Amino acid sequence: MIEINKLTKSFKGKKVVEDVDIYMDEGESIGLLGPNGAGKSTTISMISSLLKPTSGDVKLNGKSTIKNPAEIRRILGVVPQEIALYEELSAHENLKFFGEIYGVKRNVLEQRIQNVLDMVGLKKRQKELVKTFSGGMKRRVNIAAALLHNPEILILDEPTVGIDPQSRSHILETVKKLNRENGTTVLYTSHYMEEVEQLCERVYIMDHGRVVAAGSKEELLSILSSEDTIQINLSDTNDEVVEKIKSIKNIRRVDETKNGIRIISKKGSNILSDLVHAVESEGIHLTNFQMETPSLEDVFLHLTGRTLRD
Amino acid sequence: MIAFIKKDLLVFWRDRKEVLISLLAPIFIIIVVNFVFSGITFDDAGDMDIHAGLVVEDDEAAGLQQFEKRLQNIDLPERKIEVMMEQAQDLSPIGLIVSLFDDPELSSWIHTEEMNEEEAIEQVENGDLDAVIKIPNDFTFDVVGQMVLGETADTSLHLQIEEHSIETDILTDIIDNYLKTFNYQFALGAVAEGEAGDAVLPEGGREVINESAVEWDLAQYYAVAMSTLFALFIAATVAVKTETEKRERVFNRILLTNSRPVSYLMGKTFSTFAMTWIQLMLVFFVSDLLLGIFPEKSVNYWLGIIVIVTFFSFVVAGLSASFTSLMLRMKNLNAANGLFTIVIMVMAALGGNFFPMEQLPEWLEALSGWTPTGITISLFTEFLQTDDIVSFAAPLMKLAGFFIGFLLFGVLLFPERRRA
Repeated sequence: MIEINKLTKSFKGKKVVEDVDIYMDEGESIGLLGPNGAGKSTTISMISSLLKPTSGDVKLNGKSTIKNPAEIRRILGVVPQEIALYEELSAHENLKFFGEIYGVKRNVLEQRIQNVLDMVGLKKRQKELVKTFSGGMKRRVNIAAALLHNPEILILDEPTVGIDPQSRSHILETVKKLNRENGTTVLYTSHYMEEVEQLCERVYIMDHGRVVAAGSKEELLSILSSEDTIQINLSDTNDEVVEKIKSIKNIRRVDETKNGIRIISKKGSNILSDLVHAVESEGIHLTNFQMETPSLEDVFLHLTGRTLRD
Repeated sequence: MIAFIKKDLLVFWRDRKEVLISLLAPIFIIIVVNFVFSGITFDDAGDMDIHAGLVVEDDEAAGLQQFEKRLQNIDLPERKIEVMMEQAQDLSPIGLIVSLFDDPELSSWIHTEEMNEEEAIEQVENGDLDAVIKIPNDFTFDVVGQMVLGETADTSLHLQIEEHSIETDILTDIIDNYLKTFNYQFALGAVAEGEAGDAVLPEGGREVINESAVEWDLAQYYAVAMSTLFALFIAATVAVKTETEKRERVFNRILLTNSRPVSYLMGKTFSTFAMTWIQLMLVFFVSDLLLGIFPEKSVNYWLGIIVIVTFFSFVVAGLSASFTSLMLRMKNLNAANGLFTIVIMVMAALGGNFFPMEQLPEWLEALSGWTPTGITISLFTEFLQTDDIVSFAAPLMKLAGFFIGFLLFGVLLFPERRRA
């Protein structure tokens, strides 16, 4: 359905997105994962035809959309990261305006407005001004505005940033419903790993403007199939002990995290006795040892050397 | 496009602070100005009363005798001398001056009394008289010599005043204008007949406005000037709201709807038109209701105002199209705001929104005729005085030209659908 080939964008000679390839099939739910500044929003702006790529192409059903963006815009619903609404207008007035300029016929517009408001759970508060809404409610109206014209493809750019858990859960449910019940193709960008894991069948991981890995969750996790992830906690910690752990045979990586120390080691290697020895030689005790199932977060850390919140 | 217009009107309406400023500020200023300038008119002579002493030093009969001798000294045929003497007697320069002040138009507010010089000066010094008009010795001889023989006159009418005032300035102007008009008409007569013709009495030194004329006072002037100035700011207000649309990515969302860019611009343009029109009509209506700014209340009068307001509102609407496109192109809100303010203030200063252009040099007054507010203020001035909308076709066309010009500029400057 949508094929993105070698998409590149430079600003003042600096490449912010480089050679990005993404493929989206009809009805798929795709996650675009990456930390802030990875180039996700720029990529989305180019896919949605708001930004002209420096090179590369975006094809819709085999036809390039670069020169003729009208076709993709017609079937595209974009939920920007910002609250792209008129704060001085009510939720209903905003939706009516956007519905009218989307060209939704007058006789169906009101019904469509009520449907999308129902979907985002704001039907009862539709007459209130947007500026009186909480951040989460504004984000829900932001999504509703992108759904008025029944888009075939929905692009959501970090739709849950800075909102309450209730609104977040509502938004995730809405997106899931749209994808699974309505067959809407979804491109979901986030730096919340768990959201992408919950919603998306395939994931593209971006870092420094490039796609560093792509595939289904299982495919991505298989990157770590040759490794074990171990989480340990110590009675105390210092640089010397970390260095000693790193020097243990078969340990590939050691990262200090807020929960303790994460160790990536060769799969099946028995490092426990060496680990206890190394720690106690520094007068420190091992208080917790836990083998972990790898997550996409681990994959991201493995690929980029940093966590998604960095 | 209607969706855009409705949206812009709603957004403006919801910004209560902005609505109050654009409606109440001009009304407040008009009220203040009305109290400050209450009753002062540009052409007001109704309450004026000038007292002048008329000192006639010249002896007309002696002057004519002196002139006859002068003619005889020139080698002229007898018949020619007779004709010239008849002309000189008909001219009667002293009689013309005296009859000027006997004219009912002037005698009702300029009171002259013949007296000797000593007495007149004393009364001026005492403040009993505003001025002394002195017809000096040899005045008759010099004037007829100038008129009949084309010689240079050595003597002239003297006007002596103790201190300058509006009254004495008007008196000076009347006498100057009278003499200029007299000389001009006499010269015309001479050219037409190939010789010195009969002197025709000018109609008077005071311009007579037709019976239905309504005087244009400063309060009326400021009502129009302030309301049109505040109307110009609506163009900037609407354009600045574009920045919010740009910043909050609403503009991008609009682009994604495949709406025609011109619809967006036209939405801004016509909502500005509607807001300006409502603002101006409301300000005029409320000012008139509270202060009786516009004394005439016929249907034609208000229809005339509606026509002028409509054309001016289109100009402001066109200006908002230009400002909106500039706003979309400029990256710095403060710079854009500053630019809009400068454009509006320059336009207002040249257009006479801060002070009446009649008091400034002629070239500035002429320049004012090529600014939207200058044209509008001038239209209101003329309309209030003549009540004749037909003669306003040219200025209205000028306003239409401004609208088209500003709108075209806005359309040409409007950015492409997406950023490169």
